[in-house]
Amino acid sequence: MSKNSTVRKRGSLAAFLRHSSVPIMFIIICAICIPLSGLSPSYLVNEIVTRMGRNSFLIISLLIPIMAGMGLNFGMTLGAMAGEIGLILVSDWQIIGIPGMVLAMILSIPFSILLGLFCGKMLNKARGREMIASYIMSFFINGVYQLVVLYLMGSVIPIKHSSIKLPRGYGIRNTVSLLSMRQKLDNLIPLTIKGVKIPVATFLVVLVLCLFIVWFRRTKLGQDMRAVGQDMEVARDSGINVDRTRIISIVISTILAGFGMVIYLQNMGNIATYSSHSQIGMFCIATLLVGGASVDKASIGNVFLGVILFHLMFIVAPRAGAAITGDSMIGEYFRVFVSYAVITLALIMYETNKRKTKILEGERLKLEQMEEEAK
Amino acid sequence: MKLKRLLVRLIAILAVVALAAVMFVIGRGHTVYFDNKALETDDASYEPFYQVQVFVDDESVAKLGAGDRGMVSVMGQDFSMILHITPEKDAKKVGSAVKLTLPYAMDGIILNIPALLNGAPEEVYQSEFIPAPVEEEDEEVILSDEFEMPLEG
Repeated sequence: MSKNSTVRKRGSLAAFLRHSSVPIMFIIICAICIPLSGLSPSYLVNEIVTRMGRNSFLIISLLIPIMAGMGLNFGMTLGAMAGEIGLILVSDWQIIGIPGMVLAMILSIPFSILLGLFCGKMLNKARGREMIASYIMSFFINGVYQLVVLYLMGSVIPIKHSSIKLPRGYGIRNTVSLLSMRQKLDNLIPLTIKGVKIPVATFLVVLVLCLFIVWFRRTKLGQDMRAVGQDMEVARDSGINVDRTRIISIVISTILAGFGMVIYLQNMGNIATYSSHSQIGMFCIATLLVGGASVDKASIGNVFLGVILFHLMFIVAPRAGAAITGDSMIGEYFRVFVSYAVITLALIMYETNKRKTKILEGERLKLEQMEEEAK
Repeated sequence: MKLKRLLVRLIAILAVVALAAVMFVIGRGHTVYFDNKALETDDASYEPFYQVQVFVDDESVAKLGAGDRGMVSVMGQDFSMILHITPEKDAKKVGSAVKLTLPYAMDGIILNIPALLNGAPEEVYQSEFIPAPVEEEDEEVILSDEFEMPLEG
């Protein structure tokens, strides 16, 4: 009995280590890099708190498609583009501060819905290959975005201000200043604890989103999404409209990504018109995976753990790189390739686990068959 | 049931549109320029004060000598300021509260303080700020390199 329980404990510990290998690896990296970087704890906490406020909303937008079994939604970039279009228009109309942010979010909704519908329909056609399909689709829609922003804005879509428009008379400048709304949400409820600036209002918005996710999971639609995520065929047999449910999950994710991008950019204080969105999906997905999420399972806890570990590595790696090699660029390269490595590792682990489960299931069926035959 | 759902959706959309309209109005940003400069019209002439200090939201935003210009960025159309006027050197400071409704369509609004305080009509003390056109070289648009990870998180 005790031998059995020891074996079970060892097995569960091994499973835990296997599942948490990415966060554990990052904890080790951070533990090595923090002392090497020489950065003070208060500086690190300040940076992490700022980045948590800036990025959490965007990363949480990835949870719903995972729940619906659509994997990591690289198509969140589409929502980010919608958020940027909202911000460009609001900047031109000179709507500033929190009202400007709210208006940009509202303006992003129709764009996000349209793009989400398109993306959802395409992903339904590319079932089983959602991640690569959404990744490539983000490149495709980026081309459309560039067409709109570079050629149609100012010529077809009225843009008044020369500070936004390119000198040639149409198209948007490389950088659009958001100085009039910079950190307005972060500073709405000012709070500083021992030198650490807490963006209370931003955290409240993130909290509302977390509560929404928790509530949404318990709704009929949320339950349907979980059912679809577990087994599409079973869900379909039980009367769930699988295609519709999957499209809704992508639409919600795209809308939330649009809102998240507005929050992200108000913190940064400017829009890099042609590049802000380009890697945001990759970036958020890497963060979520570092937090211990997988392609088919993610929670709110993974989001926050991911932000802490991934961004801690982002902050300390260049300084640690400089301390070790004398060249800070080594650290820059390090954090970039580690981001890609994490995604690769997560995808490999997902496929390996899937294959293992299939083999185990096959063996179990084989045993059952043999037992029946023996009878 | 279907009608009820349609009604709920319609109300939700209208609420969002109404919220957008409210944000559109209350969030309109303006840059207000204060001129303490001489102004001459056909009917009257207004001389600058020795010194004007402008307070907006209990914060000093400009301290202007004769011929100076100051500015502040504000949100919304209701604008109020408190002016501390020193008419002449060694004269006593005089306080004056001013409330104005800013025109929605104007981004930059110039207020001539001497004209405003001497009861001049709106079209005299208020004018639109039009930035001087600047000759710019065409900006090269940098499209993103998709294979590069952004370094700022």
